[in-house]
Amino acid sequence: MASRKEGSGSAGGGFGAAKGKGKAAAAGDSAVKQVQIDGLVVLKIIKHYQEEGQGNEVVQGVLLGLVVDDRLEITNCFPFPQHTEDDADFDEVQYQMEMMRSLRHVNIDHLHVGWYQSTYYGSFVTRALLDSQFSYQHAIEESVVLIYDPIKTAQGSLSLKAYRLTPKLMEVCKEKDFSPEALKKANIAYENMFEEVPIVIKNSYLINVMLWELEKKSAVADRHELLSLASSNHLGKSLQLLMDRVDEMSQDIVKYNTYLRNVSKQQQQKHQYQQRRQQENIQRQSRGEPPLPEEDINKLFKPPQPPPRMESLLIAGQINTYCQNIKEFNAQNLGKLFMAQALQDYNN
Amino acid sequence: MSRFFTTGSDSESESSASGDETAPKAPGGPYSKPLLLSEDEEDTKRVVRSARDKRYEELTNLIRSIRNAMKIRDVSRCLEEFELLGRAWTKAKGVVDRDGVPRFYLRILADLEDYLNELWEDKEGKKKMNKNNAKALSSLRQKLRKHNRDYEGAIAAYRQNPEQSDEDEEKSRRDSEGSASSSGAEDDAGNFLKRRDREEPRGRYKEEESESESESDEDWGDSASESDSESDEDDGKFTSLASKFLKKDEERRGAERRREEKAKKKLERKSRREEEEEEEEGGEWEKVKCGVPLVKEKPKMFAKGTEITVGLVVKKLNEILQARGKKGTDRAAQIELLQHLVAVAHEHNLGVPLELKIKFNIVASLYDYNPNLAAYMKPELWQKCLGCIEELLELLFAHPEIFVGENVLEESENLSNPEQPFRVRGCVLTLVERMDEEFTKIMQNTDPHSQEYVEHLKDEARVCAIIARLQRYLQGKGSPEELCRVYLRRVLHTYYKFDYGAARRKGQVKDGAGQVKEGAGQVKEGQGKEEEKLEDEQKVKEDAQVKENEAQVKDEEEEEEDSEALMERLCRFVYAKDRTDRIRTCAILCHIYHHALHSRWYRARDLMLMSHLQDNIQHADPPVQILYNRTMVQLGICAFRQGLIKDAHNALLDIQSSGRAKELLGQGLLLRSLQERNAEQEKVEKRRQVPFHMHVNLELLECVYLVAAMLLEIPYMAAHEFDARRRMISKQFHHQLRVGERQPLLGPPESMREHVVAASKAMKTGDWRRCHRFVVNEKMNGKVWDLFPEADQVRAMLVRKIQEESLRTYLFTYSSVYDSISMETLAAMFELDLPTVHGIISKMIINEELMASLDQPTATVMMHRTEPTATQNLALQLAEKLGNLVENNERVLDQRQGAYGGYFRDQKDGGYRKGDGYLRRGGFRQERGNY
Repeated sequence: MASRKEGSGSAGGGFGAAKGKGKAAAAGDSAVKQVQIDGLVVLKIIKHYQEEGQGNEVVQGVLLGLVVDDRLEITNCFPFPQHTEDDADFDEVQYQMEMMRSLRHVNIDHLHVGWYQSTYYGSFVTRALLDSQFSYQHAIEESVVLIYDPIKTAQGSLSLKAYRLTPKLMEVCKEKDFSPEALKKANIAYENMFEEVPIVIKNSYLINVMLWELEKKSAVADRHELLSLASSNHLGKSLQLLMDRVDEMSQDIVKYNTYLRNVSKQQQQKHQYQQRRQQENIQRQSRGEPPLPEEDINKLFKPPQPPPRMESLLIAGQINTYCQNIKEFNAQNLGKLFMAQALQDYNN
Repeated sequence: MSRFFTTGSDSESESSASGDETAPKAPGGPYSKPLLLSEDEEDTKRVVRSARDKRYEELTNLIRSIRNAMKIRDVSRCLEEFELLGRAWTKAKGVVDRDGVPRFYLRILADLEDYLNELWEDKEGKKKMNKNNAKALSSLRQKLRKHNRDYEGAIAAYRQNPEQSDEDEEKSRRDSEGSASSSGAEDDAGNFLKRRDREEPRGRYKEEESESESESDEDWGDSASESDSESDEDDGKFTSLASKFLKKDEERRGAERRREEKAKKKLERKSRREEEEEEEEGGEWEKVKCGVPLVKEKPKMFAKGTEITVGLVVKKLNEILQARGKKGTDRAAQIELLQHLVAVAHEHNLGVPLELKIKFNIVASLYDYNPNLAAYMKPELWQKCLGCIEELLELLFAHPEIFVGENVLEESENLSNPEQPFRVRGCVLTLVERMDEEFTKIMQNTDPHSQEYVEHLKDEARVCAIIARLQRYLQGKGSPEELCRVYLRRVLHTYYKFDYGAARRKGQVKDGAGQVKEGAGQVKEGQGKEEEKLEDEQKVKEDAQVKENEAQVKDEEEEEEDSEALMERLCRFVYAKDRTDRIRTCAILCHIYHHALHSRWYRARDLMLMSHLQDNIQHADPPVQILYNRTMVQLGICAFRQGLIKDAHNALLDIQSSGRAKELLGQGLLLRSLQERNAEQEKVEKRRQVPFHMHVNLELLECVYLVAAMLLEIPYMAAHEFDARRRMISKQFHHQLRVGERQPLLGPPESMREHVVAASKAMKTGDWRRCHRFVVNEKMNGKVWDLFPEADQVRAMLVRKIQEESLRTYLFTYSSVYDSISMETLAAMFELDLPTVHGIISKMIINEELMASLDQPTATVMMHRTEPTATQNLALQLAEKLGNLVENNERVLDQRQGAYGGYFRDQKDGGYRKGDGYLRRGGFRQERGNY
């Protein structure tokens, strides 16, 4: 019972921390509070995915821009080439440096401020993303990762999100200690691993004007995809992915469970051993012999290796994202269905 | 020359001339040189000696080599030499009868016996001995015992008093020395004579005659000079004294014989010599035979004018056979010699049994021609072999009174005595079996796409004919075991052939006269059957089939039964009479195969099930397993032709799922496993390969399998689309589907597999017409379907199956879209008649595959919405998984508590933890409530 309380307590603490952290970030090193993206960047990312990515393959690229106060302005980007097995000697760093140098020649912002990645049904909370974002943020304080969801975008609403690792997570990653104790001490939960930074898309006035013009010209039918009632495919896929993660989570828990059992078993043995030793010593004392020397008990019982918990944290985070996605999607869909029903009633 | 002899003293020159000798260069090989070729060299060593002398020398030579062999413990050599000794001894019988058993002979017998006993007792040593030696030891021991029985008394005497006999020897030697010195004066004369003899060997006989008076003296001189030089050698000396006194008698006899011979025959010297050699022991013949000179001499195997008797020929035959299997024997020459011998025997009318015997040996030597088991016969030899066996059978049929058996002992053979039944050693069955194996080997080693193969295949008819004849022969006189063996051979040559004759007859009966032509055309079209793969192979096969048909027609003429009845009869006999499991197993498998080939599915299946072969076939040897695999495959194809898709799939599953069908059917080696096996294994595997004309077409096999899998798998997939736990029916089919999906660009299908994959995709959407177009079209007809004998029937079956399964798939896939559907519409869509549609749907409803009910008056299917939709399904699965997750999570929680609560509680919990998560959860809630 106690532990249960503890768990919920920690969750509550997490929430608290999340709120607190927001303040801390604002008060602290400022970092980034808002991301301002040029329309150009958005279009380039979309174009990149459309040309190179397919299915659950992921495209990545580098964001360029500059920091203004606590606002990160992303003014340009360039893609990474797709990796193939056969050109393993491709030097990414070299490629980046050269790209940036070349862009500087044409007078484009060449400050490296992060990277972008496409995602497949919102499955982006992975170890790879964590590692690379950590190295980015470690090197360039302000860097963000832009997650672009092409599937949602195809349904009519642009889905582009900017994420940063929370300072807490940065600490943990720096320590590279993912044992349960360390994570507990760091007070990290899945909710406060990433922070989402609000995004503003900014275009030049001329472009805005043109967009207005275009909107007037475009027929109503062009925007009907927003109203599409077909939902099962998307929902099904999401559920499928969610299920896979749940499975993984289960396995992880089983692993952790075994570890706990081993620990407790060992504790038991240790205890027994100590008792036996004590009794023996008492007997010896009564016989007037010197007590047995104290041995290092930890040498006798090597504690089992605790399983790293970062994976399960990530999985929990991923599950969270999926749930959010599904919730959002279903809310919209329900709305649409109610609308459709009302329309039908009205027509009848 | 006679360095080991102090004798040669007495005995006159006449008799020595009769045994005229070349000098032994090495013991055991005194006659190795062809006599006419290098006379000069040999003549220097020629000497005139008496018959007695000669015999004794022979004996002593042999004894020496036996002693040598004893020293080096080479028992097999001992045995060889002993056999020679025995023969030499019988030859020397005449001399011995006069002289009494010589001491040296007794001594070697006694020594040998001791030696053998010693070896025999020495268990350790015997173990170490190699197999040959051990074998030789026991046989030598037996032989010696048998031999010694005759001389028991003498040996016992010798054993009692070896010393004394030695003394005797001493004495005799001294005597002979004395006499030698006395005759020393005549030395010159003797030498002179010797020289002259050397110079004029041809004229020797005359001289010998004229000088017969003085010869005794010369010989004395001879012996003197030699005994002086070599007196340390004691073997053979002992005889000198005794023989000395017998001289006169011997002389007279020898002279008489000499004259008699001369007067009567006036033989050429050369032929005389050959005859003499004839009389020499056979062991020395092996050397004569090898080498070129032999071939020159061969035509004159027997002296001109010699009276050729059965005994003589048999002796000759044995001599030739002695060389068999020895190193350096010219096998081709040996075969020719034997053939010549047959001719001679035939010429002189020596009787059928003898000819039979020689022919047996010819065939055996033909088989021996290749020392290597893997090598195959040359075509000429093969033809010769076939011819020979045919002649043999001819003879056997012509003379049924002759008893032939492998159990007839050499001694009990009767080749010439007409009063008693003829008995000949030999086994036709073994020869024919061997021939059959050779035939298989030839076929294995011929390129199946060459004209050569066709040529060889033409011999198949002859092979079959021979086996059939042998069978008829053995039916008269063979034992059940032999009959089983020959029946199996017959069965093995029959089971894989499609009986077109019977099919045609059946067709006639069924369809009446009008359709006979068409039936025949169909037969011709399907003639290829599954055995061939390519166009040109079709030719090969057709040729073969024609041949086979001819053979079969012949058979039918003979036996008046088609292959079905034949198989039935033969196999039944084997089932009843066979005692070795293997023959029965093979017969059963062949029988099943034959049934399957002729579309008698139920009989084939029942036989397979009754035999219980599926349970224990893994214990059989590889060739039988290959046969089993072939049978299973044929069974599967048969089931497919009958429209029993499920059975077909099950039968083929094992072979096809491994992906090694080629190897399992013995139709080729896989390259993949090439590294895993060494050369030796590869040879063994190569020997197991089935000859090409018996192959099962692998593409047909795969196509049948894939189509069967498609017909089963597609509806199943449609029915279980959302089932998380669905199993694949056929992994291989899924693999093909995946391969098809991976293709970035889908063109029109080319290969058989692509056709099946395309058909599967069409079927998935219930489009039976497209599916049908993909499965049955020009290309597929050419590749697969036309290979069936009843191709049209199979195609009709396929169409129907495709329609039915497409209907099922359609209902599975789209039932959720319909509220109700008219059966008439369905019938029209799938071009099935209403009752069939009704039947299929009813079946689906009964099996709870389709949630629907039938509305009789309107003939419609009313769908019930009980199946959850895809999303609902997913949600259910997710709920289940989450339940799991929660349970696991709570376990972690329990652990925490356990750590505080103590070890034992944890243990107790462990007992009922499994499977009652819900209960515990309830408990947990209570706890919380309490909290």
